[in-house]
Amino acid sequence: MFDPYILQQLAIGLSLGMIYALMAIGFTLIFGVLNVVNFAHGEVYTIGAFAGLMAISAFGPPLLVVLFIALAAGAFAGFSLERLAFSPFRRFSDEASLKSRAMREATLMSSLAMSIIAREAMEMIFGSQFQSVDLAYLINKPINIGPITIVNGDLIIFAVTLIMLGGLQWLLKKSPIGLSIRAVSNNALGAKYCGINTDRTIIITFVIGSGMGALAGILVGLYYGAIFPAMGFAPGIKAFVAMVMGGLSSIPGAVISAIILGLSESLSTSFMSSVWSDMVAYGFLLLTLIFFPQGLFGARRDRV
Amino acid sequence: MKLTRRTAVLLTLATSLTPIAAFAQDSVKIGYQLPLTGNTAQYGQGFHEAAEIALTKFNASGVLPVPVEIIYEDSRSDAKEGVTIARKFVDDDDIVGVLGDFTSTVSMAAAQVYKKAGMVQLSQSASHPDFAKISKWQFRNITTQDQEGAVNAAWMIEKGIKKVAVIAEQTDWGQSAANGFVEPFEAAGGEVVYTEFFNRGLADFRSIITKIEEHEPDAIYTGFFYEDGAQFLKQVKQLGADTPVYSTSAAYNDTLIELAGDATEGLFLTATFLPSRQDENVQSFVTEWKKTHDVAPGQFPAQAYDAVNIMLEAVVRAYPDITRESLRDAVAETTDFPGVTGNTSFDDNGEPLKELTKATVSNGVFVEVQ
Amino acid sequence: MSKSRLIKLGLIILVFALVPAILVGFDKGYYYQIATIAAIFMLLAASLHLVTGVAGLLHLGHAALYGVGAYVAAILGAEYGIGFTIGVPLAGLSAAAIAFLVALPTMRLMSIYFAVATLGIGQMLFLIFQNWVGLTKGPNGVMLFSGLNLFGFEIDTDLGIYYVVASIVALSILVLNRLSHSYYGNALRSLREDDQCASAMGINVTVMKIQAFVISSFFAGIAGALWAYTTGYISPNDFQFSQSILILTMVVVGGLGSLPGALIGALLLIILPEMLRSVGDIRNIIVGVMMFGAILFLPKGLFGEVSALNFARRMLGQGWAAKKGEKGIGWK
Repeated sequence: MFDPYILQQLAIGLSLGMIYALMAIGFTLIFGVLNVVNFAHGEVYTIGAFAGLMAISAFGPPLLVVLFIALAAGAFAGFSLERLAFSPFRRFSDEASLKSRAMREATLMSSLAMSIIAREAMEMIFGSQFQSVDLAYLINKPINIGPITIVNGDLIIFAVTLIMLGGLQWLLKKSPIGLSIRAVSNNALGAKYCGINTDRTIIITFVIGSGMGALAGILVGLYYGAIFPAMGFAPGIKAFVAMVMGGLSSIPGAVISAIILGLSESLSTSFMSSVWSDMVAYGFLLLTLIFFPQGLFGARRDRV
Repeated sequence: MKLTRRTAVLLTLATSLTPIAAFAQDSVKIGYQLPLTGNTAQYGQGFHEAAEIALTKFNASGVLPVPVEIIYEDSRSDAKEGVTIARKFVDDDDIVGVLGDFTSTVSMAAAQVYKKAGMVQLSQSASHPDFAKISKWQFRNITTQDQEGAVNAAWMIEKGIKKVAVIAEQTDWGQSAANGFVEPFEAAGGEVVYTEFFNRGLADFRSIITKIEEHEPDAIYTGFFYEDGAQFLKQVKQLGADTPVYSTSAAYNDTLIELAGDATEGLFLTATFLPSRQDENVQSFVTEWKKTHDVAPGQFPAQAYDAVNIMLEAVVRAYPDITRESLRDAVAETTDFPGVTGNTSFDDNGEPLKELTKATVSNGVFVEVQ
Repeated sequence: MSKSRLIKLGLIILVFALVPAILVGFDKGYYYQIATIAAIFMLLAASLHLVTGVAGLLHLGHAALYGVGAYVAAILGAEYGIGFTIGVPLAGLSAAAIAFLVALPTMRLMSIYFAVATLGIGQMLFLIFQNWVGLTKGPNGVMLFSGLNLFGFEIDTDLGIYYVVASIVALSILVLNRLSHSYYGNALRSLREDDQCASAMGINVTVMKIQAFVISSFFAGIAGALWAYTTGYISPNDFQFSQSILILTMVVVGGLGSLPGALIGALLLIILPEMLRSVGDIRNIIVGVMMFGAILFLPKGLFGEVSALNFARRMLGQGWAAKKGEKGIGWK
């Protein structure tokens, strides 16, 4: 019924989408709580990849251990990032300051400054080139399903995305810490009055979100076998776009949007030059913003 | 307030930029603009090391009674910075010639300055078709893609390949790589079934590869640098496509094999530099390079090594009366310069004429195809 | 002579006498180059200031509009022989026209949604520069052979070019200054603070925003044309997303909403990396650290909005003072 060519492109699009989704999850989580764009998320992703890479070249642990090391590195990076670039700007805890433009812009720029410092430092230490990765660790062993070919990395990434998504939903809906994250996200001042330690909650959000970002980094790094200091930039923009399309604070929305982006990119290659495929992604973004300004899956807002 | 701040900033600027006391009066100075930081720093760092090897060797040889000095400036592959550096080099009356930049776009932006000021500019890698035509001051020692494309086209025809898909990066270099191949190949009776460009640094080639396979070509001709090449080859293998891949000297780098492993097996390419070649020049360069690296130098450091040596040879020829004008003429006179990337001569346009070798990857190493 | 006149005169002397004097004194093309680039980026920062600082719209695609101006000027100059005199205004108008087209559907978006829309538009324009080979020559870039020809006079000395660039930039900044420190600017500021309230007060929010965006893009286009003419060669890489971020950083480091701040920020971020050249590869890290320090310790920017407005009020003292029987402008 279906042309194997189209099926193959769909499979590729799906796996691309999963990769964007992986990064978008952490990004959206952090945005949801603070309402600020974390420009350094791309660098956390890169740090995760490098941490995993260093672990591999140092003592060659099993893949699962590598993933946990990346996760830990990301969690630590997220913690430091929050302390350095975000918490100094929360000097005042009244609602006006918490939600104010001034604070958003200050953290926007401070996270940008952090990302510049981190990227330049990594370039100085490791060089800008692709790092050599032990080929045995790459998760790109082909698996043939009928006429189409996928790789074992697709399955791993799919599983990790599902676990992250499910785990996060459970965490946010059921666990006490998740409840406090949602409370802070909803109304920081109100949460504070109810006795929630907002500062700690924000740190935890960063730790979780960045850990996920770092995990995404090492997974994608091993998936493509490409680990280099600027690797976080392109998926970072796609994750940003996916987050907005999904409605800013909706994590499942961001995941679905990321998959739409991936599919549209791979399918567009079929009828136009691949250099234009990003045009489709941005076209989607603009159409979404114009026709569904609150995002495809976002909660209804008064004004956008 | 505004006034004082601005003045203060300007004064600090003025004082801090005043050149520090010059070096020994009679050393010959050459400028080298290259990306030492930023996304393309790996190439610039390679140039830097190769240039240092060449320079140390030259100064130790004592051919000239005075030492030659190279002043490196970091352009980040940013045209804004490249032009600023060019102006800086032009200002320094001691600098008689310039090497670089890495990317064609920055080299071309800087070339406008050198053209106006009259300073010889020798780029080891600028491959924009118009670069050497800008003025009589621009030279390059990298082979043009017309040359490499023609060799590759003849090679494929010889092997009986009729249908080819062409894929190249969306840069000035990639465009010329594709055109340089397609013209002679079609002229020789071949058919190009599919042409595609990709943005440099593209992570995922699978959509393109699937599309290429759809056209069932006999071979794929590729214009990419080794990093994109590693991605492409890995994904070709991953998708189980077994079409032979042909490429250019830009992919020639041992790191390619390190990054892509056995996916590179059977890659065909043209090259001007083979670290395994039994040639005194080549071996001494490779030995020096390996003192600080695990892998042999690739095409680009070798290009830089040669560019520096061509410049140094020209300095020797122009000595003792070295001016920007005389150095330019000396560079233009270069004939059959025996470099590690083969013999280089410049034609009237400042384009190099070189011989190309054919190579393939076999058992994880590049070997020459006879 | 009043103090405000003195400052104005001082600035004019600084830009048109003192800086050229220093430049001539050193007689280095390098300093001319830095002065020219600094002037171009001061104009870019000042124009972004109008949208992001005054009207409060986070704009992440400014470099693309700068690119539109550069491409229009370069293509007109290289292919159609339309020189500097006509090319520069045309570059500005084209950038403004494109800005108008993209502003129509996106201008009703708020805050982060608007930011993402501008990001998307910026990236789309960049893709066009990069890939529409027939129009923009794609990655090969456009080489502009014709020099800077103003009303038939060929200007090819460094000093002449500096004067042309400085005059155009100064004039543009003067216009932007009048716009941001006037009733019009105050109306834009009111949008930034609370657009619903502004709307209730009778301000047509969407029209005002579109105007600010279009005006800002016009000047970005002019800056692009200046870049094309002073460099002689442009390629898509000059107008990447990172350049938009650089311009935004200038505005924020200088002080959001403050025109002098934007100018100081631009000067700083152009000159600082050059000054740090001697420290080698670490210079970009230092720039990042200084940026962070500036945000942390000077949260209002190097020259915050309040001081900027006070400064403007002093400067425009006469114009804003209450005349007999009329109401004055500004705050007390």
